[in-house]
Amino acid sequence: MPLRETNIVSGAQTKFGKLEGLTLREIFAEAVDKATVGAGIPKEDIQAAFIGTFIPEMLVHQGHTAPLLADYAGLRGLPATRHEAACASGATALRAGIMAIESGLYDTVLVAAAEKMTSVSTNRATEALAAAADDEFESSMGLTFPGVFAIAAVAHMQEYGTTEEDMALVAVKAHRNAAKNPLAQFQKEISLEKAMTPRYIAWPLKLFDCSPISDGAAAIVLTNNERAKQYTDTPVKIVGTGQASASMNLCDRTSLTSFEASVRASRIAYDMAGLTPKDMDFAVVHDCFTIAEIIASEDIGFFKPGEGAKAVREGVTALDGSKPINPMGGLKAVGHPVGATGVKQAVVLYRELIGEAGANQVPNHNTAIMHNFGGTGATCVVNIMRRADA
Amino acid sequence: MSERPTIEQYQQYIQDNDFHALKCKSCGAVIAPPKGMCYSCGGTDLEWTTVSGKGKLVSFTVIHIAAEEFQDETPYFVAIVELDEGTRITARLLGLDPTQPEKVKLGMPLKIDYETGKSGKVYIGFRPA
Repeated sequence: MPLRETNIVSGAQTKFGKLEGLTLREIFAEAVDKATVGAGIPKEDIQAAFIGTFIPEMLVHQGHTAPLLADYAGLRGLPATRHEAACASGATALRAGIMAIESGLYDTVLVAAAEKMTSVSTNRATEALAAAADDEFESSMGLTFPGVFAIAAVAHMQEYGTTEEDMALVAVKAHRNAAKNPLAQFQKEISLEKAMTPRYIAWPLKLFDCSPISDGAAAIVLTNNERAKQYTDTPVKIVGTGQASASMNLCDRTSLTSFEASVRASRIAYDMAGLTPKDMDFAVVHDCFTIAEIIASEDIGFFKPGEGAKAVREGVTALDGSKPINPMGGLKAVGHPVGATGVKQAVVLYRELIGEAGANQVPNHNTAIMHNFGGTGATCVVNIMRRADA
Repeated sequence: MSERPTIEQYQQYIQDNDFHALKCKSCGAVIAPPKGMCYSCGGTDLEWTTVSGKGKLVSFTVIHIAAEEFQDETPYFVAIVELDEGTRITARLLGLDPTQPEKVKLGMPLKIDYETGKSGKVYIGFRPA
């Protein structure tokens, strides 16, 4: 049965990138202000805050972040709880918000997420990110995050004939879309030749196959049906939500060409919404690496296994294609402040669905799906959203 | 009395160049790396077992940018290997040229070996059989 009560009534993100001179709490507060008072929603109306951050302990030497961030953002006194699921931290915070509204416990809640990654060295950031993989059995052997997705890429190339050029085309598309997005880290188109520059990070993945290290925050306000119209004429309903887990280590996965948590979470979300992939006008998927977008587009049922690369080649997933994916530029070009990404994805769905995505507006925008992935794919959250008047 | 196998012992076997896997006493499934139970039958009574050391290459990568601890060892292979006993483990790939990854064939037969990293730590590895 579809979710009944959860409406998104505002959504905002900061610029993503290297936000020099700003600390985690300042970035967080900027997103919260834009999504509340900036959208005509008084902070006094917020009854609880669900907050996503991945690993501020290692990145900015700060734990117990939820009350700290809520306090700085002017929400002192509210129940504020942190949700952590590596790169899916934001979407797990969102699910907690959804459950709070659906249960009737609260009328209006804030879901917000942030990460500050550029204040440490690249090596330190790499080490922090590696904490999201299996330390005892994989990271300790020198396997990196790009390495995990490279292993999936090699398997996908072998099984389906996907090529390095197919992956590069995902990067070209991401940059083309992000070039029109003023909040993106990279507002610059790249050529296929440039995307193919053989600077290997983890063969066959090259520099342009990888999302960058970023700072940023995003926030949305959720409310029930009774309150939604107080805040906006165009609420967006969350009609289905799914979450699943899988083994942390790759060697325990039955398939390396598909991520089982993505398949499971998306099937749960579709079933709950009573909708199918055909009903989706567009998707926002977790393209931490280019191959991840190709596999996600198959796992969420947009394309058959092995046909994700063909869809990219034929322009099906372009902004003006029949199934746009990551219309604002994805993680690859907009940036990936890890804990913030899941909430940013919800902001993208909200803006696209209400028709306020500017130069990145997709033509059909009634119903869409977001896919947020944690770590090596050990967590996946999928949400399906629909304009309330659709 | 047999003690419950620990992860510490699993790692120690590798450091001693003497890889051991777990075996489910109920159904005989071979399990590595260790799990808290057997996913084949749900059994929780596990014991150490030796393996043939033979397997095949499932997939791999060559790491060029590593965490600081491993950067001096780059480029190096990390692979997923399926043992003849059925379980898959993550391991280094040895005896192949990491600058020519396109020459490595998935499915190729491998045999177990060990590699001592620059830190002195021993990695489980596989080389062409």
